[in-house]
Amino acid sequence: MKKKSNALYAYMMSSPAMLVLTVLSIFPLLFILWYSLTDYYYLSTRPPRFILFDNYAKLFQDRYFMQALGNTLRFTALAVFFEVLLGLAVAVLVKSFKRGQEALRTVTLLPTLLPPVTVALIWQIMLSNNYGLINNLLGLFGLGPVNWLMDVNTAFYAILVIDIWQYTPFAFLLLYAAMQGIPQGQYEAASIDGAGRWAQFRYVTLPNVLRNVLMVTLLRVIDTFRLFDKVNILTKGGPANTTATITQYIYHNGVNMFKVGFASAASVVMTLIILFLAAGYIRQNFKAREKAGR
Amino acid sequence: MKKTLSLLLAILLVAALAPSALAEPTKLVIAARGGSHVDVINAVKAQFEQENNCVIEVLGLENPDLKQKIALDSRNKAGAYDIVMLDDPWMPEVTEAGMLLNLTEKGYQDDADFVPASLALGKAPYGTGDTFALPFAGNVTLLFYNAELLAGAQVPDSWQGVLDVAKAVNAQDGKVGYVIRGQQGNPIVGDFMPLLWAFGGNIFDADWNVLVDSQQAKDALNLYIQLLANGANYEKNDIVSSVADGKAAMSLGWPSWYISGKASTAGYAKIPGKVDADSAENPAGMIGNWLMGIPANTQHPDLALQLLTYLTSADTQKAAASSGAVPTRISVFNDEALAQEYPFYATLLEATQASRERPRTPRWGDIENVFGIELSNAISGIKTVDQALADAKVAIEDVMR
Repeated sequence: MKKKSNALYAYMMSSPAMLVLTVLSIFPLLFILWYSLTDYYYLSTRPPRFILFDNYAKLFQDRYFMQALGNTLRFTALAVFFEVLLGLAVAVLVKSFKRGQEALRTVTLLPTLLPPVTVALIWQIMLSNNYGLINNLLGLFGLGPVNWLMDVNTAFYAILVIDIWQYTPFAFLLLYAAMQGIPQGQYEAASIDGAGRWAQFRYVTLPNVLRNVLMVTLLRVIDTFRLFDKVNILTKGGPANTTATITQYIYHNGVNMFKVGFASAASVVMTLIILFLAAGYIRQNFKAREKAGR
Repeated sequence: MKKTLSLLLAILLVAALAPSALAEPTKLVIAARGGSHVDVINAVKAQFEQENNCVIEVLGLENPDLKQKIALDSRNKAGAYDIVMLDDPWMPEVTEAGMLLNLTEKGYQDDADFVPASLALGKAPYGTGDTFALPFAGNVTLLFYNAELLAGAQVPDSWQGVLDVAKAVNAQDGKVGYVIRGQQGNPIVGDFMPLLWAFGGNIFDADWNVLVDSQQAKDALNLYIQLLANGANYEKNDIVSSVADGKAAMSLGWPSWYISGKASTAGYAKIPGKVDADSAENPAGMIGNWLMGIPANTQHPDLALQLLTYLTSADTQKAAASSGAVPTRISVFNDEALAQEYPFYATLLEATQASRERPRTPRWGDIENVFGIELSNAISGIKTVDQALADAKVAIEDVMR
């Protein structure tokens, strides 16, 4: 009897959260899944028709979508790798400082606090081929100017550098916070055993923050996969479609052209890819919780 | 008794008249393109509000937001907007979807004072059908140049001439002969179309067959690439500053980039419509008007039509000139006082009359997207001109299927 009333209490307490989740996440997801199987065009005067997987077939036959998909995967892999690596390195460095950790932590975080649109506009001015700060600096050494955002050899990497600049501090913050929880005794014991700095990092720091590294990687993968503002402002997917991303593709078809059915199919594909990339971490997390629950 | 009756009558009379005397003013909402257009409407709306007991609210929205909001609202039974501003290439999309009130059916008579090229943009089908929107703000692309860098050379009236001048300027120390706006998508398509038209090419023929791989298109794109070789590829702000400051000699652009009020930061001329001195002249300037229409689901169709007529009238356009509005009426372009104040009006009128419209299809947004990608492939050297235009043809045919 008590067990029953406990379960009822648990359901009652979790129902507001479940309601919000259902309205804001589950319903839209189901709608998108349904729309992706229709030819829903928002401006059409007739109701959408069920077309099964036609949108998906068209999507994978579209070379511009495949190019956007390839760009997004490549961008995500490179950006997340460097952001996590640099974030970890900066966290180790800042933690090693005897003084000024707090001030440094605040200053380092500033790029992450800026809205992506502001970041894109600031970098657009700095990378300008005409009066840009970076080309002016290069000019002092007799180099350039480089058309950073319109040259096929540089545009992708220019956006990559901007993203790494903006989000390395995010990785730093989470990893630095995780490092605060490592017992000092472990370092002292390692030191007594003759471990140098590298060995301490490898055998003490890294195993302690590995779960956090995975979590940061997952969060950054999800976020980087949605890259949109920078590309839309700085390159519009060019030159030669080398910076086009899936979100930009979805935005063009869904928001600009009102092809809701087709854009929904692209959104489903994007969601599935992110789920696939995150599956390992999510599975591991569930297992850890199950273990803790036993 | 008499007193009581009189009092009762007086009360009844006041009660009967009160609703009209104290009637709430009608609220009209205009969804407008943000920036100077909003200033213009705000500057002239007071008189209409006074005369018609209404309040006009103007919502200034960015380009993509404006289109989305208009489209989303169009599916509501009772619309939130009474007048909407529309970029002219949206017209086939919005009229096909039945989003706008048919002004002709509503009793509107076309006004011959509008520049015909502008008036045609608001009709569906283009040029010949009923009127669904009126031209509010005129615009057409022009050739902008830095007179100092041309160093006495005539402003070229052919594209071969433009290339020759670009080469000569490029030979000077560190100067840019010609700036293309080669950013993928709308910018590069808008920048290339005048060349395509000047060379006698087009995207479609009259039967909607795709022509982008024609010899004219190939020649135009080859010349465009040569212009880039003797110049630079900038985004809009860099284009304007480089030509205005004398770093670059020429570019195409919209007048509002260079002209503010009476002053222009660069010389301007009609875009050349000839390939070389001996070839035939084609209309080559790209028209890009902001139109105003009435949503089909407006709650105040009659008052909205009155307001639309007022906002696009000659008197309003004259009054709005000082707020930066570009007229769409011949009488305003030719007004002596205004022509003296704004000397660019004559060039603008001439260019508008000899302008071309972008293809009138609801799929223009998709066409611009894929054509822009392939043009970008060509100027980046990823594909040859032939390959890029052949791929563009396939992609545009896919869009039209």
